[in-house]
Amino acid sequence: MSGEREVSLLPEDLRGSHGPARHHLLTSLFGTPDLHRLAVYREHDGYRALEKALKEMTPDQIHAEVKASGLRGRGGAGFPTGTKWSFIPKDVPGPRYVVVNFDEAEPGTCKDRYLVEHSPHLLLEGACIAQYAIGSHQAWIYIRGEYDRPYHMLIEAIEELRQAGILGPCPFGVDYPLDVQLYRGHGAYICGEETALLESLEGKRAQPRSRPPFPAVKGAWGRPTLLNNVETLANLPWILRHGGAEYAKFGVERSRGTRLLSVSGNVQRPGVYEVELGVSFRHVIMELAGGPPPGRRVKAFWPGGSSAPVLPESMLDVSTDLDELARVGSMGGSGGVIVMDDSHCVVKAARRLIRFYAHESCGKCTPCRVGTNWAERTFERILQGKGTIADLQILDHVQEALQNGRCLCGLGDSAGWVIMSTMKHFREEYEAHALRGECLAGECQVQQKVGAHA
Amino acid sequence: MTLSNHAIEEIKALSQRFPEIRSAVAPALDIVQEELGYLTPEAMSEVAGLLQVDPGYVEGVATFYTLFHLEPIGKHHFYVCTNLSCMLRGAEEICEHIRHRIGVSREREVSPDGLFSYEEVECLGACEFAPMMRYAHAYHYELTPEKIDALIEAARSSSSTSGRAAAEEPESQEAEQRHVR
Repeated sequence: MSGEREVSLLPEDLRGSHGPARHHLLTSLFGTPDLHRLAVYREHDGYRALEKALKEMTPDQIHAEVKASGLRGRGGAGFPTGTKWSFIPKDVPGPRYVVVNFDEAEPGTCKDRYLVEHSPHLLLEGACIAQYAIGSHQAWIYIRGEYDRPYHMLIEAIEELRQAGILGPCPFGVDYPLDVQLYRGHGAYICGEETALLESLEGKRAQPRSRPPFPAVKGAWGRPTLLNNVETLANLPWILRHGGAEYAKFGVERSRGTRLLSVSGNVQRPGVYEVELGVSFRHVIMELAGGPPPGRRVKAFWPGGSSAPVLPESMLDVSTDLDELARVGSMGGSGGVIVMDDSHCVVKAARRLIRFYAHESCGKCTPCRVGTNWAERTFERILQGKGTIADLQILDHVQEALQNGRCLCGLGDSAGWVIMSTMKHFREEYEAHALRGECLAGECQVQQKVGAHA
Repeated sequence: MTLSNHAIEEIKALSQRFPEIRSAVAPALDIVQEELGYLTPEAMSEVAGLLQVDPGYVEGVATFYTLFHLEPIGKHHFYVCTNLSCMLRGAEEICEHIRHRIGVSREREVSPDGLFSYEEVECLGACEFAPMMRYAHAYHYELTPEKIDALIEAARSSSSTSGRAAAEEPESQEAEQRHVR
């Protein structure tokens, strides 16, 4: 499995941001022929940031730049990256790890795949910088098992780095060994949760851990571990080349820089778009992604993957600022923007997402294991035209029971938010389905209830 | 013994890759599944022996993750994404079409000739190309009934004109590189 495998992209793969633009900090080179090759990546300043870090900067200086950038994690939680790094203890002897979360599985999210397919070295350079910054000599990339092409691209890219000596005992002539290993996942959404990911990496069933201890102190194989998302790490080369202050000039308030949004569903130009944080969802959905098909209106959109509470069309002017999203009752999440037009039924969509959470619940915590399955059965009844007012009350009850930190991780909360937010904004669709056996969107074929219109 | 010597050597080598041997369990099951098509209880016990863990532990790992198959699947297995982004763009119709074409009534049922099966899976992370599926270690984008028909036709003819090994080669090598549209 080495140089023989020529992995190439087609022009059609560029479905999203590429080429130079003021706000294309990650994607400006996407579309450059053979950018996935080390030689081409280096022609475009590739690994200059790593070389600079190793030769001219101390780990503390790198921390300072990352803190100054205001970068927040791009995986879902939006936690400040510099703060996360500061949790890694400085004085513990023995190995420590950088673990890259490339288990992209949040419904509606495909940005990390887009990033790695177009520029695998961008991620690898970020992962190497992170190793040096926290005193680690080993990074593990946890890549979801279904990502065949990105996996083979990373294998090739890592092999190139070994041959060039950038991975090895003495990168750029500096006595600081660096290494990157790959671990393929085997199909489990829960592995995106960082402690479940660590369990999986250690060869176990992926069930989240109780915290503390936090991974920074006791992570992979019991060692101090920094876990970061692919896109988060891919920002590091730019930040080190231009400085954290320069990065912080992009974005708004506490949401600095740019981020990749995967826009999917009922839009004319689905794709992965790099935007400056603070632009509105109207801009993202209606302009970048071309809006819904002709003659259709946006009915609802999930602004940050299926776990982010849904918003109705009337809230299209909400901005991508993470804090503003929190204020309106949703979140930036994974940047997966799922758009649904008015030909689709909210209840059916919610049922599909609840089935997902029920399937992916790891079974460790009772509220999540029981609640998601209970909700799924309730949705089935409603969509089969067998619903009653009691089923709406059950959903109300279950969504509440799933939330508010009753579980070790956020999966149950996410399921609760699906029910809560769809019922909040589209209550009439639920009532029509449950009480009258009627689909207001005209999508579902349901048996009308006898006497419903009497 | 169910496993080939080659597979056994590969599994033994795996244990060197990780700080702790347990981490090799799932990668070892990959090797088994690649060789046998699915995970038999005997093969899981063999893995347990090779990695010096309890057989029940191996089965616990195998049953947790959806990419492991504990029952036989078709020689050609379609993983069709049916999560929201794909559903909004016709994934249900694609599944319906697949069932009809390969002659099964539900997911994971193997077609009478043993060639085909399909599975409805969660988001595969290629939402900009919905509806999509994974097949033969490659993503297939913007599915239509016509594309499905062409894939099934190609699979059928490759299976009938040549032996098993020859039929699998072009898929795993060529398609792995290029995502077919």
